[in-house]
Amino acid sequence: MEFALEARQLKKQYQDKLALKGLNLQIEPGEIFCLLGQNGAGKSTTINLFLGFITPTSGAAYINGLEVATNQLKVKEYLAYIPENVMLYPNLTGLENLTLFSSLAGFDYSPESLMQYLIEAGLPSEAATRKVGAYSKGMRQKVGIAIAVAKHARVLLLDEPTSGLDPKASNEFSDLLLKLSGQGTAIFMATHDIFRAKEVGTRVGIMREGELVDVLSTTDLNANELENLYLNYMHA
Amino acid sequence: MKKFWILIKYEWLNFRADKGLLILVTLTLLAGLYGIYYGTTEVQRQQQNIAGLEKLTEHNVEELKAKYPEGTDAGDIGYYHSTFAVHHPDSWASLALGQRDVNPYYIKLRLLNLQSQLYDTENINPQKVLAGNFDLSFVLVYLFPLLIIGLCFNILSIEKEQGTLPLLLSQPISLPLIVGAKLTFRMLVVLGLGLLLSILAMIWGKVLPDGRVALWLGVVVLYCLFWFAVAFLVAALQKNSAFNAVTLLGVWLLLTIVIPALLNVYVSIKQPVPQALALTIQQREVVHGGWDKPKRETMDKFFALYPQWRDTTEIKERFVWRWYYAFHHLGDVAVQDLATQYKQTLLARHELVQKLNVLSVPVNVQGIFNAMAGSDLPSYVQFLQSATRYHDRLREFYYPFLFRQITFTHADFAREPRHSFASAPDMKSATAGLLKLLVSVGIVFGAGLLLFRWKTASVK
Repeated sequence: MEFALEARQLKKQYQDKLALKGLNLQIEPGEIFCLLGQNGAGKSTTINLFLGFITPTSGAAYINGLEVATNQLKVKEYLAYIPENVMLYPNLTGLENLTLFSSLAGFDYSPESLMQYLIEAGLPSEAATRKVGAYSKGMRQKVGIAIAVAKHARVLLLDEPTSGLDPKASNEFSDLLLKLSGQGTAIFMATHDIFRAKEVGTRVGIMREGELVDVLSTTDLNANELENLYLNYMHA
Repeated sequence: MKKFWILIKYEWLNFRADKGLLILVTLTLLAGLYGIYYGTTEVQRQQQNIAGLEKLTEHNVEELKAKYPEGTDAGDIGYYHSTFAVHHPDSWASLALGQRDVNPYYIKLRLLNLQSQLYDTENINPQKVLAGNFDLSFVLVYLFPLLIIGLCFNILSIEKEQGTLPLLLSQPISLPLIVGAKLTFRMLVVLGLGLLLSILAMIWGKVLPDGRVALWLGVVVLYCLFWFAVAFLVAALQKNSAFNAVTLLGVWLLLTIVIPALLNVYVSIKQPVPQALALTIQQREVVHGGWDKPKRETMDKFFALYPQWRDTTEIKERFVWRWYYAFHHLGDVAVQDLATQYKQTLLARHELVQKLNVLSVPVNVQGIFNAMAGSDLPSYVQFLQSATRYHDRLREFYYPFLFRQITFTHADFAREPRHSFASAPDMKSATAGLLKLLVSVGIVFGAGLLLFRWKTASVK
């Protein structure tokens, strides 16, 4: 079967550091894979490799069966990305930013439906027509979510997407992820939030120093057990 | 292609919201309009002055008619009557004044020796020359690059610095498309402005609408493209905005100020400015010495040049005009070689600059504009030659009166030759410059493309 997201012996060597040591991973459509790990463990490197922003030293990343490095443009039709810190054009409004990115993605939404995406992402409608320069981090994050959702991608790459969101917004975001997964979207999320990972994740991976040290199904253990396990790995 | 236009559209939205960029473009527009105003008024002023010279000559004739109601010896007229050699500006001169402010555009002539009259017109204000001309060509050659730098220095780096590049590149669009669209948008703005100002200047200056319209517009487009290519090359280095800004301003300083200054020094050493001093002294010595030489000796020398007057009567008087004008002319003849050399050195200097201007595209482009407008050094030298020929004609007009001793009557004033010279464009230099410009643009753009492809882009 064809995986939504796959890494085969994926390795990234920087001049002074081996950031990723031969990652093997398969994620199926509808699956939510949460990647835990300290800062610098290689989570963002993995996501950047899937995005094609960096080229692997060896091995390959695949999206929908297409190798990322050789299908840079094609794979981007299938994926959406929410960075840890969504940065937008400060001189444009939230709505204009969303219009720009969704039209670049190849969609031609009416202003009303774009507005709907923003509201669903939790952005107050009066804020949508203000310039992004005056937005808080959480508001920008919500526009980023709307951009990703409006793209109807098969693969969602999330790099600590809820950072800066209040608990209510985070909670709504979790519901959104579950809904998308129900529609068959594969979600790959790097996070520090063990409890939310347990709550929404299908599987949880623990990464340490560029190595995926463990992969667990969230049905097997509760949040506390997961946290203990995580801390064990980090102290080892 | 559709995505390209989407990017262009949003560049416009971003541009519209950016006060700084709007101010920059408005300032350039105002500078351009002032440049057009400056150029046209300067040319108008010169034309008015030239028209005034005609009145001056008429006035002078009236005075002489009043002074000599019965007509007189032509020698008196030749001595007291002045006329002008005038250098009319080409209709394009208002766009590129070139050296029309430094070099005299009219020369007051009497029948006396020519060489002392050619160079003694001092009609420039050194303070004004120091600042240079603020004409349209100045705005295009020196200020437009700053506009392009202001618009393009952060063309790629801002996307990294404001963090929008990752989100952009997570869409199915490539980096070259993004950079291409951003460059295209800025080109549309700058070229629109440059072409608008040029066409406005052509209409305002009422230029002769010949092939130069296309040539001028083509040079404006290519010159702007050159600076876009430089900005693109610097962007391809993938450095931050501050580095790009400093580098681009450095290049601007180098090409518009440092290299021209060095070129000036080099040319001055290699091809020193010819001194008219030696010429003036020698010519003066011969003329002044003429008073003390035996008249026979002077006249024999003169008749060797003009044998047709040999049969005129022997001079016995203490003073006679034909003898006076003969030794004046011999003064010119004595320095003929020096005078030719002076003009040739001026032209050789110009030729050397033409060769060396490959080192600085702005110098080359300024040269193209001046050549097109007939306001460069060669057209001044042509004017000097034309004035020399006019002086010859004047002498030939007066000689029959002087040697046959015919009275110069009032009616004869109307028969006196008049001078008019209009500078012509030097299309050969202009097209040669255009070719060099084309090559410069190609090289810099090519280098930018290679570097852009070779250097892997980081997203952050």
